[in-house]
Amino acid sequence: MMKLIDSINNFFSVIGGLTSFTLRFFVEVFRPPYEITEIRKHMDELGVKTFSIVSITGFIIGLVLGMQSQPVLARFGAEMFLPGMIALSVIRELGPVLTALIFAGRVGSGIGAELGSMRVTEQIDAMEVSAVDPFRFLVVTRVIATTLMLPLLTIYVDLIALLGGYVAVIITQNMTFSYYIQLVLDAVRFSDIIPGVSKTFVFGFVVGIVGSYLGFNASKGTEGVGKASTTSVVISSLLILLIDSVIVRLTLIIFPD
Amino acid sequence: MLKIENLHKRFGDLVVLDGVNFEVPEGTTTVILGRSGIGKSVLLKCIVRLIEPDKGKIFIEGKNIFELTLKELNELRKNIGFLFQSSALYDSMTVKENLAFPLLRHTGLTNKEIEERIKEILNLVGLAEAISKMPSELSGGMKKRIALARSLILNPKIMLYDEPTTGLDPVTSKEIAKLIIEMQKKFKMTNIVVTHDMVVALSTADKILLLENGNFIFEGTPEQLLNSELDIAKKFLSTKLD
Repeated sequence: MMKLIDSINNFFSVIGGLTSFTLRFFVEVFRPPYEITEIRKHMDELGVKTFSIVSITGFIIGLVLGMQSQPVLARFGAEMFLPGMIALSVIRELGPVLTALIFAGRVGSGIGAELGSMRVTEQIDAMEVSAVDPFRFLVVTRVIATTLMLPLLTIYVDLIALLGGYVAVIITQNMTFSYYIQLVLDAVRFSDIIPGVSKTFVFGFVVGIVGSYLGFNASKGTEGVGKASTTSVVISSLLILLIDSVIVRLTLIIFPD
Repeated sequence: MLKIENLHKRFGDLVVLDGVNFEVPEGTTTVILGRSGIGKSVLLKCIVRLIEPDKGKIFIEGKNIFELTLKELNELRKNIGFLFQSSALYDSMTVKENLAFPLLRHTGLTNKEIEERIKEILNLVGLAEAISKMPSELSGGMKKRIALARSLILNPKIMLYDEPTTGLDPVTSKEIAKLIIEMQKKFKMTNIVVTHDMVVALSTADKILLLENGNFIFEGTPEQLLNSELDIAKKFLSTKLD
């Protein structure tokens, strides 16, 4: 019973801490110095870290989606709709959400571990004592980098997934690549692309802020670092799925067609 | 230069600092001696406001640091060097980047001037060859020296040493103690050294304070400590003799 009460206390303490951490981010993000070099460095690192895994995942998403859907559509004589169906599924939902979940696993855990390790080895204290605001230098730069990088990665994953989808199509049908692209463009509208990409800014922000919060407040040595790393993946993933369901509902209200 | 009045700090039921008072005159070295976990580092971290005490005042150059805004506090911190127990080098940066970090943010120096300053300070700590190394490539003693160089690079007026020889072998410990004395002679800083190492304490101190049960139970010169009849002082001295 006491363990349950502790867990509930802990949950609300994380939520409260995360909220005030997020508010602090919005205060600090507009204050100079802007540390552009540091943001660019983090964006480079995040891109390199996730490039190969999202490439493989993107290709497989498109391939599997195409292979699974083809027999169903063939049953109704609607195979021509396969490129459009792959494109809509990937661009509206699978691309953004799966990329964000991979990003949370790869990048969120990395931020949690890195900042956690800096906290327990007094590097964050050293920064503070040298009159440099560690929040601005370590947190703001990372959160901006994740917020800007995830949409770029998602667009890339969408394109790779469409390529995977084309491979699935040509396994069963004789279709040229240009005709495949034509069918994709016919099916996809502006109102499909904008919400799909826009929500990844929010997902990127969530991954950055959760990983930074848990790492920045890590304690208890290496155990704390490990906890910051794994907890950041769990919380980010849950928040991504939760926020996604809200955004999907909002999107359907804003773009009813 | 630095004055502490009635400083209190507790963590839960554990009283760490119980009304601590002391003063460090300008240009002198005060050593705070005490057993591990007694609250020496907490006291040091209160001086730079890394830890907020429950009660008390700390005056640096006549200003109560708890009445300063963050901006004013940061201005003050530029005049304080802090050598951490764990060295606290930024492990994603090279030695050169570690040393350039404060210079890039707090001085208007050109890249060439920064490079010259880094070489100068590395020569002072005897590690000019380590400039391109990562912290993970350095030994414990080398890390301490580089961390000391980083703390000194802005020419601070006050230098705080948190267990400067912890985890080092006796030979390297003596070298670090020698380096503290050399830096003191060169830069005429006001030093506070927190340690449980008697070699460092006796060789660097103008004044020694012995912390026990949240307050100082001894205050005096190294010679007075050597002649002290206090049990805990004798125990510390016996570790030196061992």
